[in-house]
Amino acid sequence: MAKRVLIVDDAIFMRNMIKDIFSGSGFEVVGEAANGLEAIEKYRDLRPDLTTMDIVMPFKSGIEATREIVKQDGKAVIVMCSALGQESLVMEAIEAGASDFIVKPFKSEDVLSVVKKVLGDA
Amino acid sequence: MALDLQRYLGLYVSEAGEHLAAFGRDLVRLERAAPGAEQKEVVDTLFRHAHSVKGMSASMQLEGIASLAHRLEDLVAPFRADPARLDAAAVDLLLAATDALSGMVQEAARGLSPAADAALAGRLAEASRRYRDRAEPPPAPSSLPAAAPPRADLPEPAATTPAAAGPAQPAEPPPSRGRALRRVLVDVEIAGSCPVPAVRGFLVVKKLGALGAVAEAKPSVDELRAGRIPGKKLAVLLDTAETLQAIERALAQISDLAGVSLREAEVERAPVPAPVAGGREPADARRTVRVRTEILDGFLDTVGELILATARIRELGRALPAAARPALDEGVDRLHAIVKDLHDKVMTVRMTPLALVTEGLPRAARDVARRLGKQVEVEIRGAEIELDRAILEELSDPVLHVLRNAVDHGIEAPHLRLLAGKPATGTISVSARRERDRVIVDVADDGKGMDPERLRAAAVARGALRGEEAAELPEREALLLACLPGVSTAETVTDVSGRGVGLDAVKRTVEGVGGTLEIDSAPGRGTRVTFRLPLTVAVQPVLLVRVGEEVLGVPIAKVHGAAQVTLSRLERSQGTPVIPHDGALVPVHDLARLLGFPRAPGDERAIVIADGGDSGRVGLAVDALLGQHEAVLKPLGEPLELVPGLSAVTVLGNGRPVFILDVPRLLA
Repeated sequence: MAKRVLIVDDAIFMRNMIKDIFSGSGFEVVGEAANGLEAIEKYRDLRPDLTTMDIVMPFKSGIEATREIVKQDGKAVIVMCSALGQESLVMEAIEAGASDFIVKPFKSEDVLSVVKKVLGDA
Repeated sequence: MALDLQRYLGLYVSEAGEHLAAFGRDLVRLERAAPGAEQKEVVDTLFRHAHSVKGMSASMQLEGIASLAHRLEDLVAPFRADPARLDAAAVDLLLAATDALSGMVQEAARGLSPAADAALAGRLAEASRRYRDRAEPPPAPSSLPAAAPPRADLPEPAATTPAAAGPAQPAEPPPSRGRALRRVLVDVEIAGSCPVPAVRGFLVVKKLGALGAVAEAKPSVDELRAGRIPGKKLAVLLDTAETLQAIERALAQISDLAGVSLREAEVERAPVPAPVAGGREPADARRTVRVRTEILDGFLDTVGELILATARIRELGRALPAAARPALDEGVDRLHAIVKDLHDKVMTVRMTPLALVTEGLPRAARDVARRLGKQVEVEIRGAEIELDRAILEELSDPVLHVLRNAVDHGIEAPHLRLLAGKPATGTISVSARRERDRVIVDVADDGKGMDPERLRAAAVARGALRGEEAAELPEREALLLACLPGVSTAETVTDVSGRGVGLDAVKRTVEGVGGTLEIDSAPGRGTRVTFRLPLTVAVQPVLLVRVGEEVLGVPIAKVHGAAQVTLSRLERSQGTPVIPHDGALVPVHDLARLLGFPRAPGDERAIVIADGGDSGRVGLAVDALLGQHEAVLKPLGEPLELVPGLSAVTVLGNGRPVFILDVPRLLA
C-alpha cells in the first residue's frame, strides 16, 4: 500500500513541488497544511505515515508543530524541509522529535532517498 | 525524475511578490510598533518573509534572487535580538533590497534569471556585519553544565579535549529497565556530499539517544551545535539495552552516512530518561483556498448569464396560456431565488478588504516624505471593510495619487509646521466606513489646505471658467476645480505628484465605477478628499427609459428624480428649458437630440433628473420611463467603448441589449 504523506509548507509553490515529487513515486499525498497549527490538526485527522515539515511558518513554526505532533504520536515520522543557514533550527527540530531533514534546494531523488530510508523501505 | 520548474513559475512569482510586498509593509509597521514584544514579532515576520523568498528562489534555481534574499535575511537577523537598533539607514537599505528583489522576481516572471546587483549585495553584507558587531557582544565562554567526566575509552575522531555530551533526550522512555545494559561504541562517517555534516552528526547522536543514553560524544553536542565536526567523523558511547542489530537498523534509516561501525564496550549505569518538553494546545487554524481572480471573474460572468437567462424564461412564459403559467412561474421563481443566492455568494467571494489598497500607503507616504524632507505619519482605519475587488483595483491608483498629493502639496515642511503651531510631523488619515450600500473613504491631511480663491483664479487663467462664473461658484465646487486638467495651486511642479494633472483622472476613475469624489478644505487646517463608492459594480439597479424605438438605462445611483412634463410649458433660461428641482432650476436636454436620434413627435415628455458630473444636475427628456431593472453590467468592447456617452451594456429578459448612459460624458 502506498505510504500516506502530509505536506506542510507555507508556500503553495513548495507544497506543489513536493507533492509532485511524491505523487510521481508511488506515495499518496493525503493532505497539505500551510502552517504549524494546521499541521497539528491535519496530522491528528489523517495520521499519515510521513510528514514533510517546513520550519519557518506563520502562526506556529514547524519546530513547535513537530514537538506537539511527536507528543501526541511518539511514532510520527517527520522530515524537516530546511534551507542552508538553518542548521541550528534543524537541530532544534531534531530535538523536538523530527526524524530527518532535507536541505533546500533539493533534488527529487534526494528527497525520495531520505524519505525511503527514514521509513525503513530502502 | 527532473522537475519542470517552469510549471511553478506563476505561483513562485505571485508568492515571492506577496512576501516582498509584505516585507515592505511590515518594515514600515515596525518603525511605528511599540518597543518590546510587538517589535520583536514584526522583525520575526520580516525574517520569515526574507527566508521564504530565499527558499523558494533557490528551489527555482534563481540563484541571483536567492543570494540577495539571503543577504536581506542576514541584515534582518541582528535586529531579531534587539529591534530597537533598527535605524532609518537600515530601513532604507532593507527597502532598497526588497525593491530590487521585486524587480528581479518580475524579471524571473519573464523567464530570465537575473543576477544580484553586486553593489547592493555588498552594501547589505557590510551593513549586516556592522549591525551584528554592534548587536552582539562577543559570546562569553559558556559555562557548560556539569556532565559526565571524560572517559578514557573513547577513541579520538579528532584531537580535541574530550568534551561531555549534552543530556540525552529520548523521544520515548528507553526500553531499558530490567534488561541488561551494554555500552556500545558507535563510529560514524558522514558522506562527503552532505551539505550540513554537523546537523547530520547531531541527528545521529539524537537517534542513538532514543535507544539509550549517550554517555559521551565526540565532537560533543555543543561542538556539533556550533557546526564543528572535524573530518566529518563522529564517535558516540551509548549505554543501551538494545542489540547491536537494532542499533544498526536505526542508523540505516539515517541518510548521508558513508560508514557505520559498532563495537560493544563495558556495561554501565542505567540511563535516566529526560522529561519531554510540553507544548501549547493547538488553536483554530486558518483555512483558505487560493483562486485565480480570472476564475472568479469568469464565475461572476456565468452567474450573470444565469440571471439573464432566468429573466428570459420568465418573459417567454408570459406568452403561454394562463393555465400553464402558475407551474412555470413557480419554477422560475425558485430558479430565480437560487440564482440570486448564488450571485450573492459569488459577490461575497469577490469582496476584498480595503487593506489591499491601503497597505501600501504608509510606505508610499514615507518614500515621498523622505524625498521632500518632510515628516508624515499615515493612520489607517477601516482597512477591514470589504468592497468588490473590481472597485478596489480601480481605486488603488486614485487613492495613492491623493495620498501623494497630500504629502507633496498638503503637508508643510517641518519648520513651517512648527511656525504654524503644528507638530513637525504631519498626519494623513485614511479612513473607511460603510454607509448603507456605499463605502466612504476619506483621505484627510492636517497640512496647509487648499485656497479656493487661487483655484478660481487659476481656472479663469486657464480659460476653464469666466471670471463671474468663477466668483459665483460655491466654495466646495471651487475646490473641485483642482480636478480640471491643468488647474492647480501648487507653486512648483514636482516629480512626486505633478501639478493637479492627475486629480481629474482620479475623479474620472471614481465616477467610472459609480462613485463620486468630494473635496473639503480649510486653509491652514488641511484637506479632506472623500471617495463615495458603491460596494459592487457588477449588478446595479438602472432606470430604463425609452427614446423613440430605443431603450436605454441610467444607473439609479445617478438619478435624483423624475417628472412628467409638457415641454412647451417649461420655463426657459437663455433659450434652454429648465425644470425646478430641489429649489434650483435644472437645465433640460432632449436625450434624442444628444444621441442623434430623430425627434419624437408630441410635447409630452418624462424628465429624468440625473447627475451630470461637472455640469451639476441635468434633466434628460425621454419619451417614457419604463421602470427599474437589476442590470448585470458588462463592459463595452471596442469599438463601442469609443462612443461617448455609453458606459456599459446589459441584456434584458427578452434578449434585447440595452446601453447604459454615462451622463457626464454625454453632456461633455
